[in-house]
Amino acid sequence: MALNKSKRKNNEVKIALAGNPNSGKTTMFNELTGSRQHVGNWPGVTVEKKMGRASYQNYSLEVIDLPGTYSLGAYSDDEVVARDFLTTGDYDVVLNIINSSNLDRNLYFTVQLLEMGVDLIAVLNMADEAEKKGIKINKNKLAKMLGTSVVETVASRGRGIDKLLKETVQNRDLSEAALKIDYGREIEDLISEVLSMLREFNFTDQINQRWAAVKLIEHDPEAVKLLEREVGASKAKKIKSLIAGRELKAEDDFDNIIIDKKYEFINQVIAESVSRPAFDQEPENISDKIDKVITNKYLGIPIFMVVMWSIFKFTFTLGDPLIGYIETFFEAAGGWIGSLLAGAGVSPLISSFITDGIIGGVGSVLVFIPNIFLLFLAIGILEDSGYMSRAAYVMDKVMSKLGLHGKSFIPMIVGFGCNVPGVMATRTLDSKRDRIISILINPLMSCSARLPVYVVFAGALFPNHAGTVVFSLYALGIVMAVIMAGVFNKILFKGERSHFVMELPPYRIPTLKGVFIHMWEKVGAFIKKAGTIIFSVVVLIWVLANLPLGVEYASAESLIGQFGQLIAPLFKPLGFGSWQAASSLVFGILAKEVVVGTLGVVYAAGEGGLRAALTTNFSPLAAYSFLTMVLLYTPCIATLGAIKSETQSWKWTLVTASYLFVLAWIVAFVVYQGGMLIGLGA
Amino acid sequence: MPLAMLRVGETACIKEIVGGRTVKGKLTDLGFVSGKKIKIHRSSGGPLIVAIGDNRVALGRGMAHKVIVDKEGCEN
Repeated sequence: MALNKSKRKNNEVKIALAGNPNSGKTTMFNELTGSRQHVGNWPGVTVEKKMGRASYQNYSLEVIDLPGTYSLGAYSDDEVVARDFLTTGDYDVVLNIINSSNLDRNLYFTVQLLEMGVDLIAVLNMADEAEKKGIKINKNKLAKMLGTSVVETVASRGRGIDKLLKETVQNRDLSEAALKIDYGREIEDLISEVLSMLREFNFTDQINQRWAAVKLIEHDPEAVKLLEREVGASKAKKIKSLIAGRELKAEDDFDNIIIDKKYEFINQVIAESVSRPAFDQEPENISDKIDKVITNKYLGIPIFMVVMWSIFKFTFTLGDPLIGYIETFFEAAGGWIGSLLAGAGVSPLISSFITDGIIGGVGSVLVFIPNIFLLFLAIGILEDSGYMSRAAYVMDKVMSKLGLHGKSFIPMIVGFGCNVPGVMATRTLDSKRDRIISILINPLMSCSARLPVYVVFAGALFPNHAGTVVFSLYALGIVMAVIMAGVFNKILFKGERSHFVMELPPYRIPTLKGVFIHMWEKVGAFIKKAGTIIFSVVVLIWVLANLPLGVEYASAESLIGQFGQLIAPLFKPLGFGSWQAASSLVFGILAKEVVVGTLGVVYAAGEGGLRAALTTNFSPLAAYSFLTMVLLYTPCIATLGAIKSETQSWKWTLVTASYLFVLAWIVAFVVYQGGMLIGLGA
Repeated sequence: MPLAMLRVGETACIKEIVGGRTVKGKLTDLGFVSGKKIKIHRSSGGPLIVAIGDNRVALGRGMAHKVIVDKEGCEN
């Protein structure tokens, strides 16, 4: 089919990868495109759109990696994206990536694509695993029965890729007839009637009409919507009532019959083209043995805790020395360029802009790259090894007490790296209620941008207990998330329920390439953010600190100082009513790490001097209160932006921004005033 | 009987899925179709882990009550 093929140059081929989750689709994408890939967004939603380029002989291939999906049923945003692209997108060939050792379920998706008339190549991936299990697939037979080409690959080892590319290029202009499954007399008769009505009503021929008819008989909501759009409500009603009338007389619901017939067809295909050892004894495989321990009733949660703790230990032990190097580098660069500029006779104003503003500001953000890098490396390993879904299973018991289920835990873990991908990771949750609650509490996961604020304060005011102070803040964030999830569940979504069902893929050793590509995407996004948003903020702060003209840099008379003074009283009950603290919090909304940079500017101190300035301006209790504020208050602009685009709603964005501020104020108030009461104020 | 009532190690065959379109669709996607053999790997208060073919699937108790199984008469 692919009726939307636009004109391309003769040697250009546009291909899309589609398939079940855990079929090795992403590995295949990495194998095909290597480093020549980039991530964008699908229009209207923030589902990542991964694109890349490959070449074969003199052909240039554009590759699009669609989100993994089990069917065209479209139960989550990811799946809707994949479905929309496959039905109306612009592509030449679809590579349907299939897990060879899991044929029946994977073919369920393949069959749906073929019925729709998609021109595809069935890629029997993970062929080595199937071989190990003694599964033998007769490719010719399979190809014949499905009416499509079949190629065997092992993407993780690059096996069969050349053949696949050759086949892809050969098939680029092919237009195969859609697969027809016999749905039995009752439904086939109905299909013919619906088809003739569709023709009579001039239903679009841009999509396969038989497929549309089957979808209508299944009561697929999207198909019904399409029909209403195409032929108008009154004609659509005629078709709907024909189907409904017939269904009343039928023995079973039509969608049940259609599903059964599809599987019947698949079973027949498998019976004729696949031989595998008898399946009776259900041998316990290695994954099952590992699962016995990892998902154990008593061991599950302790193991999960140890894994989490190791990740943080790994991130910070390895990351901190690297951070030191980067800090030293930027300080040295600032000093060196500063003296260079002074020597060249550049005005102190411009020199200060470059050294304090740009180098100091952007440098203070880039220092976290090692932490972010390592954290996402660890998260990538968790995901690719298969542990992440076990963690979700293990945490389900805890999460269900909050009215969420285990899957909601994954975005929270990602949130520790950065709340932006954390918020985006909620899109795999299929109930809206779970998504909204997970988004609302995600900013409470202390992202790595907040860490430098903790580190600077803890180092200055709690030099002997720095680690404990930082850890307590992470813990406080989690406790608050738990409480708020419970609250939202009670007040916002009373009575709504969701369904927990999740595949547990077999454990795999992650490939270096896969993990690194995953990590690089995230770090790249962070650097981009540092380069754009944070850079502009830094410039803005510098300008505000220098206006009105002639004022002393970042003094109380500067705009930044005046604004700080205006709002400072709000924070007085929390123990930090100075204009310096107030203005740093305001700028922190632009990016949390900017709090440190701003304090550095307003106390007119370098990195070392800042510690001294903090010691004189904050009591330990006030500092801790300030840190709880930094932890909990309004998330950064980038996170709010992600929330806006994920929820498609200003309401939820504003709810997040404001409830967090109020929560932070209350907690900081309790910390400070409570601390004063029990005599910690000294 | 509902799948949720089986004990660890027991095997049964799926008779039908009761429930709305979304529940049915999601389960069908993961291979829960009538006639399929299913084995309970874990059932301890929280969600179940079941083996269906070569797949391992975790599913909440609520979902497991919507899968109706029969201990006898499997097709495959």
